Amino acid sequence: METATRTAEATTKPIQRRDFLAWLSGIGVAGSALAGIVSTLFFMKPRVTFGQPNRFLIGRPDDYPTGARVAIDAKRVCIVRDGNRVAAISTTCTHLGCIVAPSATGFQCPCHGSQFDVDGNVTGGPAPKSLAWYQVSLTPSGELEVDKDNEIDTGTYLNV
Amino acid sequence: MSKEKSSAVKSLVDLPKNVVRSIFRNPLPSSDRGRAATSFTNFFLHIQPVRVSKQALRPSYTMGLGLISLFLFAILTVTGLLLMFYYVPSTSQAYDRMLDLRSSVAFGVILRNMHRWAAHGMVAVVFLHMCRVFLTGAYKPPREFNWLVGVALFLLTLLASFTGYLLPWDQLAFWAITVGTSIAGYAPLIGKSLRFLLLGDSTVGQEALLRFYVLHVVVIPLVIGLFVALHFWRIRKDGGLAKPDSDEAAEMPAPATAAIASTPVAVTTVITAAAPSRRFTIQGLVRGPFVKVGKLEEDTVFSWPSLFIAELFVLLLTIAGVMAVSFLFNAPLEQPVNVMHPPNPAKAPWYFLGLQEQVSYSAFWGGIGVPAIELLLLVLLPYIDRSKKGVGRWFARERLLANSIFLTLVIINISLIVIGTFFRGANWQFVSPF
Repeated sequence: METATRTAEATTKPIQRRDFLAWLSGIGVAGSALAGIVSTLFFMKPRVTFGQPNRFLIGRPDDYPTGARVAIDAKRVCIVRDGNRVAAISTTCTHLGCIVAPSATGFQCPCHGSQFDVDGNVTGGPAPKSLAWYQVSLTPSGELEVDKDNEIDTGTYLNV
Repeated sequence: MSKEKSSAVKSLVDLPKNVVRSIFRNPLPSSDRGRAATSFTNFFLHIQPVRVSKQALRPSYTMGLGLISLFLFAILTVTGLLLMFYYVPSTSQAYDRMLDLRSSVAFGVILRNMHRWAAHGMVAVVFLHMCRVFLTGAYKPPREFNWLVGVALFLLTLLASFTGYLLPWDQLAFWAITVGTSIAGYAPLIGKSLRFLLLGDSTVGQEALLRFYVLHVVVIPLVIGLFVALHFWRIRKDGGLAKPDSDEAAEMPAPATAAIASTPVAVTTVITAAAPSRRFTIQGLVRGPFVKVGKLEEDTVFSWPSLFIAELFVLLLTIAGVMAVSFLFNAPLEQPVNVMHPPNPAKAPWYFLGLQEQVSYSAFWGGIGVPAIELLLLVLLPYIDRSKKGVGRWFARERLLANSIFLTLVIINISLIVIGTFFRGANWQFVSPF
């Protein structure tokens, strides 16, 4: 028993060093693999996209008579004019990304039957949240500009 | 001199024979020894065992579903490779290339039809194969890991089919992928990033088409190929297809050569040749139930020719089936993509319509929650159900509970797919197809 313990003690040190080096190598290999995976993910995530710009001009305020609700499908926004107030409501369904169509009661999604009221609040169907409102601003040239990167509170209009 | 000449003439005369011999190391077998040698000296046949249990050959046991899956994958690889010669993964060209297949490519229509129908077929057959394995209890130890590989292959099949769905760049493709990738966007925390990574943009467009193309033609088929190889390797190493007497085998005392029971056991299978004086052995390391010495003759037959003829038959049947369907029905091609006008209703591919039906009730639970729980159950199954009873038999009484739960889930999912396919109309309203 004693001999066994002593032998174990005698062999402890070199094995520990080996173990340490083995661990170190293991961490090195695993770390390299991890770094490889992470950098691949970074590579796969585009820094620049070539789709449509998220800021665009939609014409002059006069183009939208009061009470107008004009859906611009290509830009996926609906321009709402109420008196001298203008707003841009997203027409991308918050459910699964289909384009909602303006209806008598607000908006209606063709894919899964979500319904929204005139302000984009959910009134039926599986949509989990209301349609986004985007920042609208008046450029110095007198044109309206929508910024889809800038979501604002429902009911926030731009006075023109 | 004449001797040399005659030997030269002789080698010329023997040339064809020698060439054939150098390729096929074994002549067509006429003895049991030859039948064994044919199996293990041929590169393409050595994946198979020399002898195979009679149960594994019974069509009523396996229904050949695994083999059909493999052959459909082979058909998809060949037709897919050919289609690649005429396809361009660009939003401005992809749809025109589809029309070209119809109008100006020889056999273009039949190739596209075969590719499309074999893809749908593969999804269905891989699923049925999984049902077969479950209902015969074939996932039980030592085959737990192979069940996992099978689950991975099922998911990869779905992914391969889904990524291929976008490539024609028609309305069907575009909106199915828009809906499908939005479901991925509901995953907690990583959902949005995952969707962006998959599409390479915030909406389905050129980047998404290119990404899906690369995944569809290179990445996923390669991974499927690797997993198929692993799947087959494990069938051999886990002792062939599950047999009903495996619990007996587990109770049998280990052979004398096995020093430690937990390590792989060296198995010596002795096959008596036509002449009893000539004996030879095949050695291998096999875990779990294996072909037992002594019970050899009654339980098993030589793979050559029994297994190979069966496999050839299934191959021909699969090709004939795909060809027949492809001659009768054309693969659908709708209008070119119009980003502004989703079809109403916009439907995902049929195998995801159950998912879409669930999603119409709750985006998170239908699209992510419930599927994740179902997938987790599939993955954990062989580690939860450790009983070794009822292996290798259809609907074994001992497995009544497990089979009932499984069949209930299968029926629910199929019902959801049927409802999503036939009973949903504009705005996803309930409609009657009759």
